[in-house]
Amino acid sequence: MDRRHFLMSSAAGGLLLPASHVFADDHRESGHKRSGSRSSSEAGSATAPSGNVATPPAKPKARVIVIGGGMAGATVAKYLRLWGDAVDVTLIERTAQYQSNIMSSLVLTGQRTMASLRFNYDTLQSAYGVRRVVGEVVEVDPVRARVRLASGAWLEADRIVMAPGIAFDSVPGLNDPNRMPHAWQAGAQTTLLAQQLAAMPANGVAVLTIPKAPYRCPPGPYERACLIADWMKARKPRAKLIVLDANPDIVTEVDNFSQAFYGLHAKVIEYRRGVEISSVDTGQMTVYTNGGAVQADVVNLIPSQRAADLAATTGLATAKRFVPVNVLSYASTAAPLVHVIGDASATTQPKAGHIANQEAKVCADALSRIFAGGQPDPAPVTNSACYSTITRSQASWLTATFQYDALSATMKPVAASSAASVGWRSDNFEQMNQWFNALMADSFA
Amino acid sequence: MNITPSPRLLRTTVVALATLLAAPLTLAQPSPPPAGRLLASNCFQCHGTNGRGPGFEQLAGKSPNEMYDKLREFQLGKEGDGIMARHAMGYTDAQMRALSLWLSTQR
Repeated sequence: MDRRHFLMSSAAGGLLLPASHVFADDHRESGHKRSGSRSSSEAGSATAPSGNVATPPAKPKARVIVIGGGMAGATVAKYLRLWGDAVDVTLIERTAQYQSNIMSSLVLTGQRTMASLRFNYDTLQSAYGVRRVVGEVVEVDPVRARVRLASGAWLEADRIVMAPGIAFDSVPGLNDPNRMPHAWQAGAQTTLLAQQLAAMPANGVAVLTIPKAPYRCPPGPYERACLIADWMKARKPRAKLIVLDANPDIVTEVDNFSQAFYGLHAKVIEYRRGVEISSVDTGQMTVYTNGGAVQADVVNLIPSQRAADLAATTGLATAKRFVPVNVLSYASTAAPLVHVIGDASATTQPKAGHIANQEAKVCADALSRIFAGGQPDPAPVTNSACYSTITRSQASWLTATFQYDALSATMKPVAASSAASVGWRSDNFEQMNQWFNALMADSFA
Repeated sequence: MNITPSPRLLRTTVVALATLLAAPLTLAQPSPPPAGRLLASNCFQCHGTNGRGPGFEQLAGKSPNEMYDKLREFQLGKEGDGIMARHAMGYTDAQMRALSLWLSTQR
Protein backbone atom coordinates (compact mmCIF):
# COMPACT_ATOMS: atom_id res chain seq x y z
CA MET A 1 0.00 0.00 0.00
CA ASP A 2 1.16 3.46 -0.79
CA ARG A 3 2.29 5.24 2.37
CA ARG A 4 0.86 8.65 1.67
CA HIS A 5 -2.41 7.15 0.61
CA PHE A 6 -2.67 5.16 3.81
CA LEU A 7 -1.88 8.22 5.87
CA MET A 8 -4.46 10.32 4.12
CA SER A 9 -7.14 7.70 4.46
CA SER A 10 -6.40 7.34 8.15
CA ALA A 11 -6.60 11.08 8.53
CA ALA A 12 -9.90 11.22 6.72
CA GLY A 13 -11.23 8.62 9.08
CA GLY A 14 -10.17 10.74 12.02
CA LEU A 15 -8.25 7.86 13.56
CA LEU A 16 -5.53 8.23 16.11
CA LEU A 17 -3.00 5.58 15.31
CA PRO A 18 0.02 4.30 17.13
CA ALA A 19 2.99 5.04 14.90
CA SER A 20 3.80 1.33 14.79
CA HIS A 21 0.44 0.49 13.24
CA VAL A 22 0.38 3.00 10.47
CA PHE A 23 2.47 1.11 7.99
CA ALA A 24 2.23 -2.39 9.39
CA ASP A 25 1.16 -3.95 6.11
CA ASP A 26 3.52 -1.95 4.01
CA HIS A 27 6.45 -2.78 6.18
CA ARG A 28 5.81 -6.49 6.45
CA GLU A 29 5.81 -6.65 2.69
CA SER A 30 8.98 -4.66 2.11
CA GLY A 31 10.67 -6.37 5.07
CA HIS A 32 10.16 -9.77 3.46
CA LYS A 33 11.48 -8.66 0.15
CA ARG A 34 14.52 -7.03 1.61
CA SER A 35 15.56 -9.49 4.26
CA GLY A 36 15.13 -12.34 1.81
CA SER A 37 17.28 -10.97 -0.94
CA ARG A 38 19.82 -8.64 0.54
CA SER A 39 23.04 -9.36 2.32
CA SER A 40 24.72 -6.89 4.63
CA SER A 41 27.23 -6.06 1.94
CA GLU A 42 24.42 -5.15 -0.42
CA ALA A 43 23.12 -2.84 2.26
CA GLY A 44 26.38 -0.97 2.04
CA SER A 45 26.88 -1.43 5.75
CA ALA A 46 29.76 -3.13 7.48
CA THR A 47 27.77 -3.14 10.65
CA ALA A 48 24.37 -4.34 9.55
CA PRO A 49 22.92 -6.13 12.55
CA SER A 50 21.55 -9.61 12.34
CA GLY A 51 18.25 -11.16 13.27
CA ASN A 52 15.42 -9.31 14.84
CA VAL A 53 16.89 -5.81 14.65
CA ALA A 54 16.32 -5.73 10.91
CA THR A 55 12.54 -5.82 11.22
CA PRO A 56 10.31 -3.75 13.50
CA PRO A 57 9.29 -5.61 16.68
CA ALA A 58 6.09 -7.62 16.39
CA LYS A 59 5.27 -6.83 20.02
CA PRO A 60 6.90 -3.49 20.78
CA LYS A 61 7.76 -2.77 24.38
CA ALA A 62 7.92 0.94 23.63
CA ARG A 63 7.36 3.25 20.69
CA VAL A 64 9.38 6.30 19.70
CA ILE A 65 8.70 8.89 17.01
CA VAL A 66 11.82 10.65 15.74
CA ILE A 67 11.22 13.99 14.01
CA GLY A 68 13.95 14.96 11.56
CA GLY A 69 16.40 12.78 9.65
CA GLY A 70 19.61 14.78 9.91
CA MET A 71 22.74 13.70 11.73
CA ALA A 72 21.04 13.54 15.13
CA GLY A 73 17.73 12.07 14.00
CA ALA A 74 19.20 9.33 11.81
CA THR A 75 21.63 8.29 14.53
CA VAL A 76 19.06 8.14 17.32
CA ALA A 77 16.74 6.06 15.15
CA LYS A 78 19.52 3.57 14.40
CA TYR A 79 20.77 3.28 17.98
CA LEU A 80 17.28 2.98 19.50
CA ARG A 81 16.88 -0.10 17.32
CA LEU A 82 20.38 -1.42 18.09
CA TRP A 83 20.30 -0.84 21.82
CA GLY A 84 16.62 -0.77 22.74
CA ASP A 85 14.72 -3.92 23.68
CA ALA A 86 11.95 -4.21 21.10
CA VAL A 87 11.61 -0.47 20.65
CA ASP A 88 9.47 0.48 17.69
CA VAL A 89 10.99 3.48 15.91
CA THR A 90 9.30 5.73 13.35
CA LEU A 91 11.45 8.35 11.64
CA ILE A 92 9.55 11.26 10.15
CA GLU A 93 11.47 13.32 7.61
CA ARG A 94 10.13 15.60 4.91
CA THR A 95 12.80 14.83 2.32
CA ALA A 96 13.66 11.51 0.74
CA GLN A 97 17.41 12.02 1.08
CA TYR A 98 19.71 13.83 3.46
CA GLN A 99 21.98 16.47 1.93
CA SER A 100 25.05 16.76 4.11
CA ASN A 101 26.08 20.18 5.35
CA ILE A 102 29.45 18.79 6.31
CA MET A 103 31.82 19.10 3.32
CA SER A 104 29.30 21.21 1.40
CA SER A 105 31.61 24.24 1.18
CA LEU A 106 33.72 22.09 -1.14
CA VAL A 107 30.85 22.30 -3.62
CA LEU A 108 31.57 26.04 -3.87
CA THR A 109 35.08 25.33 -5.13
CA GLY A 110 33.96 22.54 -7.44
CA GLN A 111 35.72 19.85 -5.43
CA ARG A 112 32.55 18.01 -4.39
CA THR A 113 29.26 17.39 -6.14
CA MET A 114 25.95 17.72 -4.35
CA ALA A 115 25.21 14.10 -5.29
CA SER A 116 28.32 12.88 -3.47
CA LEU A 117 26.93 14.45 -0.29
CA ARG A 118 23.52 12.78 -0.38
CA PHE A 119 22.59 9.99 1.98
CA ASN A 120 19.41 7.96 2.04
CA TYR A 121 17.47 6.14 4.73
CA ASP A 122 17.38 2.74 3.03
CA THR A 123 19.76 1.00 5.44
CA LEU A 124 18.04 2.42 8.51
CA GLN A 125 14.84 0.93 7.17
CA SER A 126 16.08 -2.39 5.80
CA ALA A 127 18.89 -3.32 8.19
CA TYR A 128 17.70 -1.67 11.39
CA GLY A 129 13.93 -1.94 11.10
CA VAL A 130 13.28 1.79 11.36
CA ARG A 131 9.84 2.72 10.05
CA ARG A 132 9.93 5.71 7.74
CA VAL A 133 7.36 8.37 7.13
CA VAL A 134 8.07 10.91 4.43
CA GLY A 135 6.10 13.85 5.68
CA GLU A 136 6.00 17.15 7.47
CA VAL A 137 5.20 17.37 11.17
CA VAL A 138 3.02 20.44 11.75
CA GLU A 139 2.16 19.95 15.42
CA VAL A 140 3.59 18.14 18.41
CA ASP A 141 1.41 17.37 21.43
CA PRO A 142 4.09 17.15 24.11
CA VAL A 143 1.72 15.95 26.83
CA ARG A 144 0.19 13.01 25.00
CA ALA A 145 3.34 12.31 22.98
CA ARG A 146 1.70 12.49 19.60
CA VAL A 147 2.36 14.39 16.40
CA ARG A 148 0.19 15.69 13.58
CA LEU A 149 1.39 15.48 10.01
CA ALA A 150 0.62 17.94 7.26
CA SER A 151 -1.71 15.28 5.88
CA GLY A 152 -3.84 15.60 9.02
CA ALA A 153 -2.96 12.21 10.49
CA TRP A 154 -1.94 11.95 14.12
CA LEU A 155 0.75 9.46 15.17
CA GLU A 156 1.27 8.57 18.81
CA ALA A 157 4.14 7.04 20.75
CA ASP A 158 5.55 6.71 24.26
CA ARG A 159 8.28 9.25 23.62
CA ILE A 160 9.11 11.76 20.93
CA VAL A 161 12.65 12.64 19.92
CA MET A 162 12.89 15.94 18.08
CA ALA A 163 15.91 16.63 15.89
CA PRO A 164 14.51 19.48 13.82
CA GLY A 165 17.70 21.49 13.32
CA ILE A 166 17.82 25.24 12.92
CA ALA A 167 15.85 28.13 11.48
CA PHE A 168 17.28 31.42 10.21
CA ASP A 169 16.30 34.79 11.59
CA SER A 170 14.86 37.14 8.99
CA VAL A 171 17.07 39.93 7.71
CA PRO A 172 15.37 43.27 6.89
CA GLY A 173 15.44 43.85 3.15
CA LEU A 174 16.20 40.27 2.21
CA ASN A 175 13.21 40.08 -0.11
CA ASP A 176 14.85 37.66 -2.51
CA PRO A 177 16.97 35.25 -0.43
CA ASN A 178 18.49 33.77 -3.56
CA ARG A 179 20.26 37.07 -4.28
CA MET A 180 22.20 36.66 -1.03
CA PRO A 181 22.15 32.92 -0.29
CA HIS A 182 23.22 31.52 3.08
CA ALA A 183 24.04 28.06 1.70
CA TRP A 184 24.12 27.05 5.36
CA GLN A 185 21.58 24.30 4.92
CA ALA A 186 23.05 22.42 2.01
CA GLY A 187 20.70 22.38 -0.94
CA ALA A 188 19.67 24.56 -3.86
CA GLN A 189 21.37 27.59 -2.31
CA THR A 190 24.71 25.76 -2.24
CA THR A 191 24.57 25.23 -5.99
CA LEU A 192 23.39 28.80 -6.46
CA LEU A 193 26.25 30.30 -4.45
CA ALA A 194 28.74 28.20 -6.41
CA GLN A 195 27.30 29.60 -9.64
CA GLN A 196 27.38 33.17 -8.34
CA LEU A 197 31.02 32.84 -7.29
CA ALA A 198 31.95 31.31 -10.64
CA ALA A 199 30.22 34.16 -12.47
CA MET A 200 31.80 37.02 -10.51
CA PRO A 201 34.42 39.20 -12.22
CA ALA A 202 38.08 38.35 -11.71
CA ASN A 203 38.50 41.57 -9.75
CA GLY A 204 35.14 41.25 -7.98
CA VAL A 205 34.22 41.52 -4.35
CA ALA A 206 32.48 38.83 -2.34
CA VAL A 207 31.10 39.21 1.19
CA LEU A 208 30.66 36.43 3.71
CA THR A 209 28.80 37.23 6.92
CA ILE A 210 29.21 35.33 10.18
CA PRO A 211 26.31 35.47 12.65
CA LYS A 212 26.57 35.86 16.40
CA ALA A 213 27.20 32.59 18.23
CA PRO A 214 25.61 30.19 18.85
CA TYR A 215 25.13 29.08 15.27
CA ARG A 216 25.55 25.81 13.40
CA CYS A 217 29.15 24.60 13.00
CA PRO A 218 31.37 27.17 14.79
CA PRO A 219 34.46 26.82 12.53
CA GLY A 220 32.33 26.47 9.40
CA PRO A 221 32.16 30.09 8.18
CA TYR A 222 35.89 30.60 8.79
CA GLU A 223 36.84 27.45 6.89
CA ARG A 224 34.51 28.47 4.06
CA ALA A 225 36.23 31.88 3.92
CA CYS A 226 39.64 30.19 3.72
CA LEU A 227 38.46 27.81 1.03
CA ILE A 228 36.93 30.56 -1.11
CA ALA A 229 40.07 32.69 -0.68
CA ASP A 230 42.27 29.84 -1.87
CA TRP A 231 39.95 29.23 -4.81
CA MET A 232 39.98 32.96 -5.70
CA LYS A 233 43.77 32.98 -5.90
CA ALA A 234 43.56 30.47 -8.73
CA ARG A 235 40.30 31.45 -10.40
CA LYS A 236 39.66 35.11 -9.59
CA PRO A 237 43.19 36.42 -9.10
CA ARG A 238 42.31 40.04 -8.25
CA ALA A 239 39.13 39.33 -6.30
CA LYS A 240 38.60 40.15 -2.65
CA LEU A 241 36.63 38.42 0.11
CA ILE A 242 35.29 40.64 2.89
CA VAL A 243 34.39 38.67 6.02
CA LEU A 244 31.91 40.48 8.26
CA ASP A 245 31.90 38.78 11.67
CA ALA A 246 29.16 39.75 14.15
CA ASN A 247 31.29 38.26 16.94
CA PRO A 248 33.93 40.30 18.76
CA ASP A 249 36.61 37.95 17.41
CA ILE A 250 37.14 34.60 15.70
CA VAL A 251 34.97 32.24 17.77
CA THR A 252 37.02 29.05 17.52
CA GLU A 253 40.36 27.66 16.33
CA VAL A 254 41.69 31.19 16.79
CA ASP A 255 45.35 30.44 16.07
CA ASN A 256 44.79 28.66 12.77
CA PHE A 257 42.18 31.04 11.41
CA SER A 258 44.18 34.09 12.53
CA GLN A 259 47.25 32.82 10.72
CA ALA A 260 45.16 32.04 7.66
CA PHE A 261 43.30 35.37 7.60
CA TYR A 262 46.24 37.63 8.48
CA GLY A 263 48.96 35.53 6.86
CA LEU A 264 48.28 32.93 4.17
CA HIS A 265 45.16 34.61 2.75
CA ALA A 266 45.87 38.21 3.82
CA LYS A 267 45.93 39.48 0.23
CA VAL A 268 42.45 38.12 -0.43
CA ILE A 269 40.60 38.22 2.88
CA GLU A 270 39.65 41.41 4.62
CA TYR A 271 38.42 40.41 8.07
CA ARG A 272 36.18 42.83 9.98
CA ARG A 273 35.05 41.80 13.45
CA GLY A 274 32.19 43.05 15.57
CA VAL A 275 30.21 43.90 12.43
CA GLU A 276 26.49 43.28 12.67
CA ILE A 277 24.11 43.35 9.75
CA SER A 278 21.21 45.75 10.19
CA SER A 279 19.62 45.34 6.76
CA VAL A 280 20.38 44.51 3.16
CA ASP A 281 19.40 45.80 -0.26
CA THR A 282 19.35 42.89 -2.68
CA GLY A 283 18.76 45.19 -5.66
CA GLN A 284 21.92 47.17 -4.95
CA MET A 285 23.75 44.11 -3.57
CA THR A 286 24.53 46.14 -0.47
CA VAL A 287 24.85 45.06 3.14
CA TYR A 288 24.20 47.73 5.80
CA THR A 289 26.10 47.29 9.06
CA ASN A 290 27.09 49.11 12.24
CA GLY A 291 30.37 49.70 10.43
CA GLY A 292 28.88 51.21 7.29
CA ALA A 293 27.56 49.90 3.97
CA VAL A 294 29.36 47.24 1.95
CA GLN A 295 28.61 46.57 -1.69
CA ALA A 296 29.64 43.36 -3.40
CA ASP A 297 29.19 41.17 -6.45
CA VAL A 298 28.39 38.11 -4.37
CA VAL A 299 26.98 38.06 -0.84
CA ASN A 300 26.99 34.87 1.21
CA LEU A 301 24.64 36.08 3.94
CA ILE A 302 24.59 33.64 6.86
CA PRO A 303 21.88 34.97 9.20
CA SER A 304 21.69 34.37 12.95
CA GLN A 305 19.98 31.15 13.94
CA ARG A 306 17.50 29.62 16.35
CA ALA A 307 15.92 26.23 16.90
CA ALA A 308 13.63 25.14 14.06
CA ASP A 309 10.16 26.63 14.34
CA LEU A 310 8.56 23.36 15.45
CA ALA A 311 10.48 23.69 18.73
CA ALA A 312 8.98 27.12 19.35
CA THR A 313 5.43 26.23 18.31
CA THR A 314 5.60 23.22 20.62
CA GLY A 315 6.46 25.63 23.43
CA LEU A 316 9.89 24.17 24.12
CA ALA A 317 12.24 26.93 22.99
CA THR A 318 12.89 29.70 25.50
CA ALA A 319 14.00 33.30 25.17
CA LYS A 320 17.44 31.89 24.38
CA ARG A 321 15.76 30.51 21.27
CA PHE A 322 17.05 26.97 21.66
CA VAL A 323 15.54 24.16 23.73
CA PRO A 324 16.75 23.63 27.31
CA VAL A 325 17.27 19.91 27.96
CA ASN A 326 18.48 17.57 30.66
CA VAL A 327 21.73 16.38 29.11
CA LEU A 328 21.51 12.96 30.82
CA SER A 329 18.62 12.04 28.52
CA TYR A 330 18.03 15.14 26.36
CA ALA A 331 14.48 15.32 27.74
CA SER A 332 13.07 18.82 27.36
CA THR A 333 12.93 20.53 30.74
CA ALA A 334 9.46 21.79 29.75
CA ALA A 335 8.05 18.52 28.36
CA PRO A 336 9.55 15.33 29.81
CA LEU A 337 8.16 13.01 27.11
CA VAL A 338 9.88 15.03 24.37
CA HIS A 339 13.63 14.73 23.89
CA VAL A 340 15.52 17.27 21.78
CA ILE A 341 18.92 16.51 20.27
CA GLY A 342 21.27 18.16 17.82
CA ASP A 343 21.43 21.82 16.87
CA ALA A 344 17.97 22.69 18.23
CA SER A 345 18.93 21.98 21.84
CA ALA A 346 20.53 24.50 24.18
CA THR A 347 23.60 22.89 25.74
CA THR A 348 27.23 23.80 26.37
CA GLN A 349 28.18 21.66 23.37
CA PRO A 350 28.77 22.98 19.86
CA LYS A 351 26.06 22.73 17.23
CA ALA A 352 27.61 20.30 14.75
CA GLY A 353 27.04 16.94 13.12
CA HIS A 354 29.72 14.89 14.86
CA ILE A 355 28.59 15.75 18.37
CA ALA A 356 24.92 15.58 17.35
CA ASN A 357 25.65 11.92 16.54
CA GLN A 358 26.94 11.42 20.10
CA GLU A 359 24.05 13.31 21.70
CA ALA A 360 21.80 10.91 19.80
CA LYS A 361 23.60 7.90 21.30
CA VAL A 362 23.29 9.31 24.83
CA CYS A 363 19.58 9.86 24.19
CA ALA A 364 19.10 6.36 22.73
CA ASP A 365 20.93 4.77 25.65
CA ALA A 366 18.88 6.79 28.17
CA LEU A 367 15.59 5.85 26.51
CA SER A 368 16.60 2.19 26.38
CA ARG A 369 17.28 2.28 30.13
CA ILE A 370 14.08 4.20 30.89
CA PHE A 371 11.97 1.73 28.90
CA ALA A 372 13.58 -1.11 30.88
CA GLY A 373 12.57 0.58 34.14
CA GLY A 374 15.97 2.11 34.90
CA GLN A 375 17.61 5.51 34.93
CA PRO A 376 19.87 7.27 32.38
CA ASP A 377 23.62 6.78 32.69
CA PRO A 378 24.63 9.29 35.38
CA ALA A 379 27.98 10.13 33.78
CA PRO A 380 27.72 10.44 29.98
CA VAL A 381 30.65 11.52 27.82
CA THR A 382 30.39 13.16 24.40
CA ASN A 383 32.95 14.36 21.90
CA SER A 384 33.22 16.82 19.07
CA ALA A 385 35.70 16.51 16.23
CA CYS A 386 36.04 18.06 12.83
CA TYR A 387 38.45 19.14 10.15
CA SER A 388 38.61 22.62 8.63
CA THR A 389 39.77 23.31 5.10
CA ILE A 390 42.41 26.05 5.20
CA THR A 391 43.20 25.58 1.53
CA ARG A 392 41.74 23.37 -1.19
CA SER A 393 44.17 20.62 -0.24
CA GLN A 394 45.13 21.24 3.38
CA ALA A 395 43.14 21.03 6.58
CA SER A 396 43.39 21.59 10.31
CA TRP A 397 41.48 19.70 13.01
CA LEU A 398 39.55 20.67 16.10
CA THR A 399 38.34 18.45 18.93
CA ALA A 400 36.90 18.43 22.45
CA THR A 401 35.63 15.81 24.88
CA PHE A 402 32.76 16.67 27.24
CA GLN A 403 32.13 15.05 30.64
CA TYR A 404 28.91 15.39 32.60
CA ASP A 405 29.29 17.74 35.56
CA ALA A 406 26.72 16.91 38.23
CA LEU A 407 27.12 20.19 40.07
CA SER A 408 26.14 22.36 37.12
CA ALA A 409 24.14 19.61 35.37
CA THR A 410 25.95 20.44 32.14
CA MET A 411 28.42 18.80 29.78
CA LYS A 412 31.81 20.34 30.58
CA PRO A 413 34.66 20.36 28.09
CA VAL A 414 37.78 18.67 29.42
CA ALA A 415 40.41 21.40 29.13
CA ALA A 416 43.29 19.16 28.04
CA SER A 417 41.17 17.57 25.32
CA SER A 418 39.95 20.85 23.82
CA ALA A 419 42.44 21.70 21.14
CA ALA A 420 43.18 22.28 17.50
CA SER A 421 46.03 21.17 15.31
CA VAL A 422 49.09 23.38 15.18
CA GLY A 423 48.72 24.60 11.63
CA TRP A 424 47.31 22.72 8.65
CA ARG A 425 48.55 19.87 6.53
CA SER A 426 47.64 17.85 3.48
CA ASP A 427 47.44 14.56 5.40
CA ASN A 428 44.74 16.15 7.56
CA PHE A 429 42.81 16.79 4.36
CA GLU A 430 42.93 13.08 3.55
CA GLN A 431 41.93 12.21 7.11
CA MET A 432 39.01 14.59 6.77
CA ASN A 433 37.60 12.43 3.99
CA GLN A 434 38.12 9.29 6.06
CA TRP A 435 36.43 10.91 9.07
CA PHE A 436 33.50 12.08 6.96
CA ASN A 437 32.92 8.63 5.46
CA ALA A 438 33.09 6.98 8.89
CA LEU A 439 30.79 9.53 10.50
CA MET A 440 28.16 9.26 7.80
CA ALA A 441 28.28 5.44 7.96
CA ASP A 442 27.84 5.49 11.74
CA SER A 443 24.83 7.77 11.31
CA PHE A 444 23.11 6.39 8.20
CA ALA A 445 24.38 2.84 7.57
CA MET B 1 33.16 -20.41 69.69
CA ASN B 2 31.84 -22.94 67.29
CA ILE B 3 31.50 -21.47 63.80
CA THR B 4 30.55 -24.68 62.00
CA PRO B 5 27.01 -24.21 60.67
CA SER B 6 24.49 -26.81 61.70
CA PRO B 7 23.32 -29.22 58.99
CA ARG B 8 19.85 -27.78 59.40
CA LEU B 9 21.02 -24.21 58.78
CA LEU B 10 22.95 -25.37 55.72
CA ARG B 11 19.88 -27.09 54.32
CA THR B 12 17.81 -23.98 54.86
CA THR B 13 20.40 -21.84 53.12
CA VAL B 14 20.60 -24.16 50.13
CA VAL B 15 16.83 -24.16 49.78
CA ALA B 16 16.72 -20.36 50.04
CA LEU B 17 19.43 -19.98 47.42
CA ALA B 18 17.69 -22.39 45.08
CA THR B 19 14.46 -20.45 45.50
CA LEU B 20 16.25 -17.21 44.77
CA LEU B 21 17.86 -18.58 41.64
CA ALA B 22 14.58 -19.98 40.43
CA ALA B 23 12.80 -16.65 40.91
CA PRO B 24 11.14 -15.54 37.70
CA LEU B 25 13.17 -13.08 35.71
CA THR B 26 10.33 -10.60 35.69
CA LEU B 27 11.06 -9.82 39.30
CA ALA B 28 14.68 -8.99 38.57
CA GLN B 29 15.97 -5.42 38.59
CA PRO B 30 16.17 -3.77 35.16
CA SER B 31 19.40 -4.96 33.64
CA PRO B 32 21.65 -2.01 32.73
CA PRO B 33 23.26 -1.91 29.30
CA PRO B 34 26.72 -3.49 29.02
CA ALA B 35 29.29 -1.40 30.92
CA GLY B 36 31.43 0.70 28.64
CA ARG B 37 29.13 0.57 25.62
CA LEU B 38 27.94 4.16 25.70
CA LEU B 39 31.49 5.35 26.45
CA ALA B 40 32.88 3.26 23.58
CA SER B 41 30.27 4.69 21.23
CA ASN B 42 32.37 7.88 21.26
CA CYS B 43 34.82 5.91 19.11
CA PHE B 44 32.23 4.91 16.51
CA GLN B 45 32.14 8.20 14.57
CA CYS B 46 35.70 7.55 13.36
CA HIS B 47 36.14 3.80 13.86
CA GLY B 48 32.73 2.56 12.76
CA THR B 49 29.68 1.29 14.63
CA ASN B 50 30.87 -1.12 17.34
CA GLY B 51 34.45 -0.36 16.27
CA ARG B 52 33.99 -2.45 13.14
CA GLY B 53 34.69 0.19 10.52
CA PRO B 54 34.46 1.74 8.02
CA GLY B 55 36.91 4.40 9.13
CA PHE B 56 40.25 4.58 10.85
CA GLU B 57 41.81 1.54 12.53
CA GLN B 58 39.29 -1.17 13.48
CA LEU B 59 38.92 -1.58 17.22
CA ALA B 60 36.49 -4.47 17.58
CA GLY B 61 37.92 -7.60 19.15
CA LYS B 62 41.31 -6.15 20.04
CA SER B 63 42.93 -7.13 23.29
CA PRO B 64 41.61 -4.86 26.05
CA ASN B 65 45.07 -4.38 27.52
CA GLU B 66 46.57 -3.48 24.17
CA MET B 67 43.80 -0.97 23.54
CA TYR B 68 44.06 0.55 27.01
CA ASP B 69 47.86 0.80 26.77
CA LYS B 70 47.58 2.55 23.41
CA LEU B 71 45.03 5.04 24.74
CA ARG B 72 47.28 5.68 27.72
CA GLU B 73 50.21 6.41 25.40
CA PHE B 74 48.06 8.79 23.40
CA GLN B 75 46.96 10.47 26.62
CA LEU B 76 50.54 10.88 27.82
CA GLY B 77 51.57 12.42 24.52
CA LYS B 78 53.83 9.49 23.60
CA GLU B 79 52.07 9.17 20.24
CA GLY B 80 52.57 12.75 19.10
CA ASP B 81 50.13 15.66 19.32
CA GLY B 82 47.53 14.46 16.83
CA ILE B 83 43.77 14.45 17.20
CA MET B 84 43.77 11.06 19.01
CA ALA B 85 46.18 12.38 21.64
CA ARG B 86 43.83 15.23 22.46
CA HIS B 87 40.79 12.99 22.28
CA ALA B 88 42.32 10.48 24.73
CA MET B 89 42.96 13.32 27.19
CA GLY B 90 39.21 13.64 27.61
CA TYR B 91 38.77 10.33 29.45
CA THR B 92 39.49 9.15 32.97
CA ASP B 93 41.59 6.06 33.50
CA ALA B 94 38.54 4.04 34.54
CA GLN B 95 36.66 5.17 31.43
CA MET B 96 39.52 4.10 29.14
CA ARG B 97 39.55 0.68 30.80
CA ALA B 98 35.79 0.29 30.52
CA LEU B 99 35.56 1.24 26.87
CA SER B 100 38.58 -0.90 25.95
CA LEU B 101 37.01 -3.89 27.66
CA TRP B 102 33.69 -3.42 25.88
CA LEU B 103 35.33 -3.01 22.45
CA SER B 104 37.34 -6.19 23.05
CA THR B 105 34.08 -8.16 23.31
CA GLN B 106 32.97 -7.04 19.84
CA ARG B 107 33.56 -9.32 16.89
